[in-house]
Amino acid sequence: MIDNIIFAAIAMTTPVLLAAIGGLVNRVGGIVNIGLDSMMLAGALAGLIVASTTGSCLIAVLAAAAIGAVLGLMMSLAVTRLDANEIIVGLGFSVAVAGLVRFFLKTVYDSSGTLNLPSVARLPGIDIPVLANVPVLGALVSGHDVLTWLAWLMVPATVWFLARTRLGLRLRAAGAAPQAARSLGLRPLLLRDASTTFAGMMAGIAGAYLSIGVVGIFNEGITAGRGFIALAAFYFGRNRPWQTALGALLFGFFDAFQIRMQGRGVPAELVQTLPYIMVIFVLTVMALATRRARSRRA
Amino acid sequence: MSDAAITPWKPARVPLQTFADAILPLALALAVAAILLALAGHNPFEVYRLLAVESFGSTRRIAATLSSTTPLILTGLATAVAFRAGAFNVGVEGCIFVGGLAAAYVGFAFAGLPGVVLIVLGLTVSIIVGALWMLVPGVLKARLDVDEVVTTLMLNFVAVSLTAYLVNGPLLAPGSANSATPMVVAAARLPRLMPPSTLNIGFVIAVLLLVLYWLWGNRTALGFETRLAGLNARFATAQGIDVPMLIIKMMLLSGAIGGLAGGIHALGTVGRFVSGFSPGYGFTGIAVALLGRGTAPGIFLAALLFGALATSGATIQLFSDVPIEIVEILQGMVMIFAVARFGWIFARRRRAA
Repeated sequence: MIDNIIFAAIAMTTPVLLAAIGGLVNRVGGIVNIGLDSMMLAGALAGLIVASTTGSCLIAVLAAAAIGAVLGLMMSLAVTRLDANEIIVGLGFSVAVAGLVRFFLKTVYDSSGTLNLPSVARLPGIDIPVLANVPVLGALVSGHDVLTWLAWLMVPATVWFLARTRLGLRLRAAGAAPQAARSLGLRPLLLRDASTTFAGMMAGIAGAYLSIGVVGIFNEGITAGRGFIALAAFYFGRNRPWQTALGALLFGFFDAFQIRMQGRGVPAELVQTLPYIMVIFVLTVMALATRRARSRRA
Repeated sequence: MSDAAITPWKPARVPLQTFADAILPLALALAVAAILLALAGHNPFEVYRLLAVESFGSTRRIAATLSSTTPLILTGLATAVAFRAGAFNVGVEGCIFVGGLAAAYVGFAFAGLPGVVLIVLGLTVSIIVGALWMLVPGVLKARLDVDEVVTTLMLNFVAVSLTAYLVNGPLLAPGSANSATPMVVAAARLPRLMPPSTLNIGFVIAVLLLVLYWLWGNRTALGFETRLAGLNARFATAQGIDVPMLIIKMMLLSGAIGGLAGGIHALGTVGRFVSGFSPGYGFTGIAVALLGRGTAPGIFLAALLFGALATSGATIQLFSDVPIEIVEILQGMVMIFAVARFGWIFARRRRAA
């Protein structure tokens, strides 16, 4: 029972974490990406279709990453080159891509909302020999697929990238002080475009995880707002990769908990509200702490 | 979201320019959607002609269009009110859910009251609940500078889940399998203007509010102060305007109008609260406010446009194979194009010439 919940919590964390890492890098670069959910949705659809036609999960994940990246780039260009407000553009993408996906499903597959394809290549789980049989630890590390490992490896990689690499430093400069960055000969807009493209790519991979990793079919509601949860996660983590991962893990746990609790008297709908309320709560506590620190200094 | 506090549309300039600003996003969205339709094997001109006929072709169709315009006027107005004060409220969708459920509850729980009292009570409760729903993000934004985009966005999900819980449990209609409250009593239904259409007195309320909004924005001190605060909060503070208080007031007002949109939708059109109550009226409201550039006539026209698309999209799906989703695609693209600035393209061309 405990093992099941832990395993499910880790599995439910993966898509949120993948997208949250993308969104975090994007936000460090100066753009708050509200469109992550739409890129996840497109990635889920592309991943499933390619997994069915080619029979290869690798190509499927690459395709999902590519479509997410293209959407991210388009969104970024609207923000950086056409000076459009990032929030509105993000919401616009959410609305338009949801419509586009359903339009595509109806036109090409004559189906409304759900796509069930034959012989979908599913992501295999990686069993770790000895550890698999250890209680708790086994559920934590064994049986998860390669994207879960990718998601968690991305956390230290992002820490290293932002703190230790030249590109990471430049990206932070582009986000924090675009004009100063430009005066140093950097091209902040280009860096921002790159970070949004990266965010789209990560969200697309998260989508593929949902469609070919978890369920094996596509449904228009497959993301269940996880792109927005990812947004909540990097807000929760204040742009720090490990804290963001902790946020994603909390949401993954809530998700798993809520699935377990269905039909046991605890209303799932109320559990579903917890992550969102928690974000508001955390933002409030953070703001209070900031204000207290400021008034002490004064 | 450092620059999110700036009013997202440019201040109005010469009328002709404003008109062009509003038409360009629409034209671009229609052009991209036309390409999509053509790719999918439909004749875009035929589709657009059908959409026009199905929205304005007969008195009955016009009534249907105005009926679906009603919630969009209100959500557009709710969004514009907050935007004008510089508060980026994307939580109107949540207000519709809580306001709608509150009004529906009054409509079946206080069945003994006479009609007028019941309707006034129901709508008042929806207004209060909607306003209260925006109290937390409003206060947090004004007093602690907590990002209202995130808090209101998160509250949307809370509202959807919370109302879903209530209509699945405590407020579920007896004997009903689907997640819905009992129907409100006939006396609580808003009077219809052109039966059998669902067009009801709510449309009149919405238009009246729009007129009030115009008067408020152009003729009152508070409206002027709000615009100042939205355009430049520091300048407004220097002028002695209590900007935080103004933001709280405008967030409450925005929530109140959003709640009213839900109340009118519940008592006027649906007759109860069901899960999935709003098909994204709150988000369409953002598109309406943006396309209308925050002006009263602009909001009306933009709401009319999206209302027409919603009605006609639903009907043309019945007798042609054009998916209704084309409406959603149009709406999303209008949002994107409405905030994009294409000025530089022309500027560069002029310089090159």
